Amino acid sequence: MSTRRLLIAACGFWLVLWLPPARSALESDMALHMALQMPLLIVLGVLLAAAARHDEPRWLASADWLGIPGIVAVVLGTSFWMLPLALDQAIADFRFDLVKFLTLPILVGMPLGLSWRRMPPLGRAFIWANFIPKLGAVGGLYLGAPTRLCAYYRIDQQELAGWTLIAVAIALGITWFIAAFIGWTPSCAQQASRHSAEGAGRQRAFGGASAA
Amino acid sequence: MTMAVTAGRTGRTAISPRAAVLAYLAVAGVVFLLMMLLGLTMRLAQAQWIDVPPNFFYVVMTMHGAGMVGIAGLSSAAVMWHFVRRHDPVSTAVFLTNLVFFLIGAVLILGAGFIGGFGAAWTFLFPLPAHSGGLWSVNAAASYLIGLIFIGVGFLLLHLDIARGILSKYHGLGAALGVKQAFGLAPAEAGPPPAVTASTMALIANILGIVVGAAVLVISLVNLYVPSFTFNTLAAKNLIYYFGHTFINVTIYMAVIAVYEILPVYSHRKWKTNWAFYLAWVLSTVFVLTVYTHHLLMDFAMPTWTLVAGQVISWLSGLPVLLVTAFGTLTVVYRSGLRWNPAAALVFLGVAGWAIGVIPAIADGTIAVNSVMHNTQWVPGHFHTYLLLGMVAMVLGFMTYLTNPQPRYGFAWLGYWLYLVGGVIFVIAFLLAGAASVPRRYAVHVAQWLPYDRIGSIGAALAIAGVLILVVRFFVGMRTAVLAEDPIG
Amino acid sequence: MTRSFPVLLALVLATGIAALSFETDGFRVVTSAGARQLSVERAPQIVPNAGLIDQDGTPFTLGAYRGRAVLVDFIYTRCPTICGVLGDDFAHVLQAIAPRQSGAPVDLLSISFDPTDGRQALRLYGERFGAKAPCWRIAAPADAQTRAALLRSFGVVVIPDGMGGFTHNDAVYVIDARGRLARILDRDAPGQLVSAALKVAAP
Repeated sequence: MSTRRLLIAACGFWLVLWLPPARSALESDMALHMALQMPLLIVLGVLLAAAARHDEPRWLASADWLGIPGIVAVVLGTSFWMLPLALDQAIADFRFDLVKFLTLPILVGMPLGLSWRRMPPLGRAFIWANFIPKLGAVGGLYLGAPTRLCAYYRIDQQELAGWTLIAVAIALGITWFIAAFIGWTPSCAQQASRHSAEGAGRQRAFGGASAA
Repeated sequence: MTMAVTAGRTGRTAISPRAAVLAYLAVAGVVFLLMMLLGLTMRLAQAQWIDVPPNFFYVVMTMHGAGMVGIAGLSSAAVMWHFVRRHDPVSTAVFLTNLVFFLIGAVLILGAGFIGGFGAAWTFLFPLPAHSGGLWSVNAAASYLIGLIFIGVGFLLLHLDIARGILSKYHGLGAALGVKQAFGLAPAEAGPPPAVTASTMALIANILGIVVGAAVLVISLVNLYVPSFTFNTLAAKNLIYYFGHTFINVTIYMAVIAVYEILPVYSHRKWKTNWAFYLAWVLSTVFVLTVYTHHLLMDFAMPTWTLVAGQVISWLSGLPVLLVTAFGTLTVVYRSGLRWNPAAALVFLGVAGWAIGVIPAIADGTIAVNSVMHNTQWVPGHFHTYLLLGMVAMVLGFMTYLTNPQPRYGFAWLGYWLYLVGGVIFVIAFLLAGAASVPRRYAVHVAQWLPYDRIGSIGAALAIAGVLILVVRFFVGMRTAVLAEDPIG
Repeated sequence: MTRSFPVLLALVLATGIAALSFETDGFRVVTSAGARQLSVERAPQIVPNAGLIDQDGTPFTLGAYRGRAVLVDFIYTRCPTICGVLGDDFAHVLQAIAPRQSGAPVDLLSISFDPTDGRQALRLYGERFGAKAPCWRIAAPADAQTRAALLRSFGVVVIPDGMGGFTHNDAVYVIDARGRLARILDRDAPGQLVSAALKVAAP
């Protein structure tokens, strides 16, 4: 798809999510809000990143070393929007919701799309291995919380949200494991050859005893 | 500590992979000895030969447990890394990062115990850390949990990096495990080397275990500071044992690589892999990830099928790899004209200790036995058999192998026999006490139990003397070992 | 790695942590109820001089309580769960302050947010717990506009519970002698409610 068309598609997608029928429907339930609307907004940002990839300023590409600043933005941004307080405010005040609709694609989704490619495989795997238990733990805490965490959601919705997060965590974990087990990655062969070359180079650089 | 520091191509100074392995083992030697002294302290206290306040006994028990599990993981990871490095590109920087994280975690854990008085056992069963009865503070418990998180992050990075290295050579972890060879879909001769197969199993199990452990650690930490956030205690116990069982169990599967790599060097025979070898490792991968429910056989609230599965799988769990390893060991050694030296003898002892230790383990994995034996010293008896005389023997063998260039073995043989005889006395005292229903985890023992405690103490002291000799010998040999190559047959 | 890397990283970290810290009031609260509790504690807030009608049909305003402390809760009379607990709490508070009835300048007020609660319903709810005006009023806002203003100023959120009833905040709100919302307390601790009310009763 061309950059232009991708951009138009992303804007259209954003508008559909923002307009009342979709917005109020997705925000009426905690599980939909956290496990559908927000991920969709992040995906939107990833699409934008794909569109903007070739226009990325050079300073950003070099400052975002190994994708670290970008992924830190992703971690902080998602942590922010996992706060029950932030969910409540987004529902109570449309201006706050607009902040969510702007920050999730621009400050979370776009950095994710741009930085992920720059991260070494170890960094990516580490992010997965941290994200999965964090999601599960938040889900578990929602289940165990003695009271409602959000003023706008009932306790049964909170419980459903907890189970949903746990289910997503388990599903991601299984997918990740199966992908590694059967050796499936989007650009597997290309990556493999690149990193074995890097690995060999690194061994020489460390000046260690040669491999037997 | 001697380290080979060489200027790399980029101008940075870097530590050679071999020096990094020796650094791991140096830490391991020291920590093993300190933790063994803590263990001896407990036995002496139970034997009423020294006076230890009960509160402090549980601190010592917690530190001994956490310290031993941690150092078992660290030292066997050194074995794994040293040998898998020959086949796959792995990063020395990540390997050393794990050591740094481990040391930070160890400081936090020791502080939690010896300064903060934390004594909730190394398994930190939820919600015990938050209910100290005034014996330790919230911060002490948090320091312990954060210490574990540090250690977990380090190991996670290490295992992920090994996975990366393996995946750069193999199309998927299944291929590196030898799944095709296991089912006869590919010739065994073309299968991955044993070190790669074993490392793949270890990293699969440990990555999954650590991910689960991280979730329950985060929940426990939140519960410490916000007590109103609770969690289902049985679910927490499941998660903790999933993580704890996997982590300690995998140490033996990492350490066993020393057997595959060291014995062939001395016997001048290649370790032959066949379909049964790969099948055994595939099956043990599945079992190690599913067997943890045998730790919950006394939890009547668990669904029955999980307990039945726990019993059945724990009968099978260790067997496949143990059988192919024991059989392989015998074929490598039998009539090979092997000239025994302490390194070969130690790894050989490791296989024997593991094989013998599985027998009481299978007994305890049986529901009918478990319900009367699990809270007795039978259990420390069984796990000390295969850890002290199995896993630790393999690591000591590896340490001796790396620092063993010349055949002047007199001192090492003395260490070997003290360690073996003392270790056997020590574990037999535990097993006999367990058979006589002496409870485990009691700080104060009644008069009838003292004979076991005293014999056990003597055995422990002898074993520690032996390990001390082997470790001292390792430190003496380290200076030359750092620049040497592995002895190649 | 370029020199701009640490700059960008520091910028991202500083912005992110500042946002998180701002949102959670310095990492002290994660829920909207907690945030409101903390902000009220720090600076008491003016509440509107709303007009209400009690279980006897007597109209009154919140401003009429000036000079006395009031414990306020929000209920609806058909509530099968939490409002009963709140009623019990208030009954305990009433018992505790009864010996010094005349001396203790503390009143109780239960406000119904359910538009279908008529005078009869309010009276029955009051009788269940032994409430008598004026020291414990069961009251409904005079009109829909007042109801909305009251809920907004107290920070009460009412949502349908999916079974014909409502899910709502179950805290107890303390109004001080100067007519300001001074504390938001958890229910189920009548002793704490009494002492908190007495503390703010003096003008």
